[in-house]
Amino acid sequence: MRKQRGLSIISMLVFAFLIIPMIIIVVTSFGENPSIQFPIQGFTFDWYLNVFETNSLIQSFFLSIQISMIATILALLVGIPAAYALARYSVKGRDILKSFFLSPAMIPGVVIGYALFQFIVIQFQMPIFQGLLLGHFLISLPYIIRVVGSSLEQLDFSIEEVAWTLGCTRVRAFVKIVLPNIQAGIFASFMLAFINSFNNIPVSQFLSGPGVTALPTSLMNYIEYNYDPTVSALSVLLMVGTVILMYIIEKTLGLASIS
Amino acid sequence: MTYVDLKDIRVSYDGKNNILKDLNLSIEKGELVSLLGPSGCGKTTTLRVIAGLIEPNDGDFVVDNKNLTRVPVHKRNFGMVFQSYALFPHLTVKENVGFGLKLRKEDKTTMNPKIQDILEVTGLAELGDRYPKQLSGGQRQRVALARALVIEPKLLLLDEPLSNLDAKLRVQMRIEIKRIQRKLGITSVFVTHDQEECFSISDRVAVMNNGIIEQFDTPEEIYNRPKTEFVARFIGFENFFNLTKQGEKTYTTSEGHMLKTSQSWDDTKLVATIRPDDINILPKGTEQDTNMIPGKVVVRTFLGKSYQYEVETNVGKILVNGPKETAYSSGEELLLQFPEEKLILV
Amino acid sequence: MKNKAPFILLTPGLILLIVFMFLPLVTIIWPTFYDGKLTFGSYLSFFQDNYNLSVFWRTLRVSLIVTLICILLGVPTAYYIARTSKKWRGLMMAMSLFPLLTNSVIRSFAWINILGTNGVINDFLMKLGIITEPIKMLYTDSAIVVGSVYLFLPLMIITLVGVIENIDLEMVEAAETLGANRLTAFMKVVLPLSLPGIIVGSILVFSGTLSAYTTPQLLGGNQNMMLSTFLYQNAMTLGNWQSAGVIALIMIVTTIIVMKLFNMIAAKFDKRGGEHA
Ligand SMILES: Nc1ncnc2c1ncn2[C@@H]1O[C@H](COP(=O)(O)OP(=O)(O)O)[C@@H](O)[C@H]1O
Ligand SMILES: [Mg+2]
Repeated sequence: MRKQRGLSIISMLVFAFLIIPMIIIVVTSFGENPSIQFPIQGFTFDWYLNVFETNSLIQSFFLSIQISMIATILALLVGIPAAYALARYSVKGRDILKSFFLSPAMIPGVVIGYALFQFIVIQFQMPIFQGLLLGHFLISLPYIIRVVGSSLEQLDFSIEEVAWTLGCTRVRAFVKIVLPNIQAGIFASFMLAFINSFNNIPVSQFLSGPGVTALPTSLMNYIEYNYDPTVSALSVLLMVGTVILMYIIEKTLGLASIS
Repeated sequence: MTYVDLKDIRVSYDGKNNILKDLNLSIEKGELVSLLGPSGCGKTTTLRVIAGLIEPNDGDFVVDNKNLTRVPVHKRNFGMVFQSYALFPHLTVKENVGFGLKLRKEDKTTMNPKIQDILEVTGLAELGDRYPKQLSGGQRQRVALARALVIEPKLLLLDEPLSNLDAKLRVQMRIEIKRIQRKLGITSVFVTHDQEECFSISDRVAVMNNGIIEQFDTPEEIYNRPKTEFVARFIGFENFFNLTKQGEKTYTTSEGHMLKTSQSWDDTKLVATIRPDDINILPKGTEQDTNMIPGKVVVRTFLGKSYQYEVETNVGKILVNGPKETAYSSGEELLLQFPEEKLILV
Repeated sequence: MKNKAPFILLTPGLILLIVFMFLPLVTIIWPTFYDGKLTFGSYLSFFQDNYNLSVFWRTLRVSLIVTLICILLGVPTAYYIARTSKKWRGLMMAMSLFPLLTNSVIRSFAWINILGTNGVINDFLMKLGIITEPIKMLYTDSAIVVGSVYLFLPLMIITLVGVIENIDLEMVEAAETLGANRLTAFMKVVLPLSLPGIIVGSILVFSGTLSAYTTPQLLGGNQNMMLSTFLYQNAMTLGNWQSAGVIALIMIVTTIIVMKLFNMIAAKFDKRGGEHA
């Protein structure tokens, strides 16, 4: 590799720009001062304790896990068959159908959130939980369609046909032959969809009510009223979660599979 | 006695163009029949109709006097070998081969010996626990074959199974396939576009063109007596020229040269053809006789085992192969002799 | 051919999308066109209001500036990553991916800490005695820009690395043997070939900034609304559902127009022909 000083300087600055703000959060989470300060004075784990004692945050955390999990699984159940149909058959209007399935990713999140709020909560008076779940289902679906779709496009469907000739029904061949061979894509799309659903703000922001508030929304509310290192501490915990997920992905699929 | 019968099969993918046009084919029990033809002529489509992967728009498909046209693929019990082998990447060789047996709810005590037997027959006995990725091309081919055979299919279907192998292995594998097919006595349909491969392996050959079967005969018959110009061209006949009938087995060229043939046809206007190898070259000055046409060498090329000449004659350009011992140079005049039993009318 | 399978497989998804996305969208947008008769009045009056216009233009301006900054920083960084040894590349990709997978609230919060009145920068400058009064950095357009660049730069980098990795290094060398210096080779070979990636990345960054909610909310505050926060305010604080519907459609249409525009630019500059994402 030849020296490219200009390039490396820019790149190092960019990485500093990306990483330093995170480091500041980590450092401030240990400061004793009740308002966020950098550099910190003293050293304490109190703010971490405080995270676990703040009911609204803990409750939201579990709600978010629940919502993201159910929504992503629902998106897999609906998305895998659809992606399969789009990859396997030359259906009429295939491109349009595919765009339609991907469209929740093109429509601004606040618009989806607001539309669902109007439709589910105002018009049909359904519980907010269902609205939140549907919203997260919608934003998860395009990830499944795109990632599982691209694994399916790389699949040699003659293995499925061979299974038929050997006596498999369609459903059985799909379960025993197709699914095992798109496992990696399913796992990658699950991870992506789950992480994005868990982190989503715009949709959740409209669909929040008593006892039903997603974690990012809770966090946002918390920041608006109390500016203390509890937020830093929770952020650090979530970042640790992200690192763990990234480690799992790297060990199983390789990070390249989700970028 | 006909075992497999395709009757007036018509297939159209888009509802407009017919890919198979009222195709008929009858295969006898235990026979290995090849479908031979250029790429795109409908060989795979025919095979997929037989397998049940495509339902024909018209026509009937009968095996052993049972009409199977509407029977779904998974109930037909045919073994199929795909061009890409289509091995299940997530299963070992044994699991690949045992896949069909497991579906038939066979128990371990009958299943394992069957798997072991077929692995031995196909020379895979040592490789049972490997995954497809860990096999060579030839080994994958054998697994695909074993997997199709172990279910004791009524019919074995092979779609260009050798086209992904290198030349040497291809010859080896086709002998292998023939041996196994003979041994098990299994009725087989073999798709290929390679005529040598096809002739060496088949009991009978169906030459396909554009959705129909042009000729269905033994390899010898097709090689020696192609019935149509397409078949002749496809199996290596080169020189085509028009003849007019004068009498029984006697014809003249447009320039009045007399040609005798061993074939007898009723049409008055015909096309004759002959392979470059089958023409004899006589030096200029030989006494002119029937079945001789004079010409002049245009180009000479060296083929290794012989010379090939492009000869200008009054029936057009004729390709001739001549022995290495005597080399004619371009511009030289000579006589071409067409042996009557080698001159084919189409 | 008569095959019901694709129909059966697609139906559940289609029904869910139609009922829970398409219909809700119609529910919020239809009233903006119809009050007894078909009318575009809501849209005309939206664009006649100076405040609304200022929000609209701010959104476009911020998105454009963010996109440009992301291109300027992203291209060299992605080029650098794509050309480093494999070991370092993995680490750098992980470093780009990490922010992307981190909650945007956290990422905006990071900049509150840095830009705030008592934030890292003001603290630092005051301690050094360079300033005596804190500078107002938070709750400005610039804060939104910085926060959005922080949010979307990783996306640009990762998109571009994928594209640049596929450019044959020999082409750069070939250009150099033909007498191009390193910068010229970069400008004449690498840049044009990265264009598809730049376009895809720009679409992601632009539409992302345009519809982001967290950053303008936390870093822009009430004085510096963008369309997304404006929509939220109209819908949830003011209860002005008519306006919220109008803003929703404007956001959708703007997103679509921007994508088409970027693709047109790409088609114009890309001399190899062919479509882009
Ligand atoms: N699934 C399909 N849809 C539309 N056309 C097809 C399909 N499969 C094959 N064809 C067309 O049918 C013709 C015959 O194809 P095929 O049977 O695969 O030929 P071969 O195996 O002899 O090369 C070709 O022109 C091909 O383009
Ligand atoms: Mg074929």
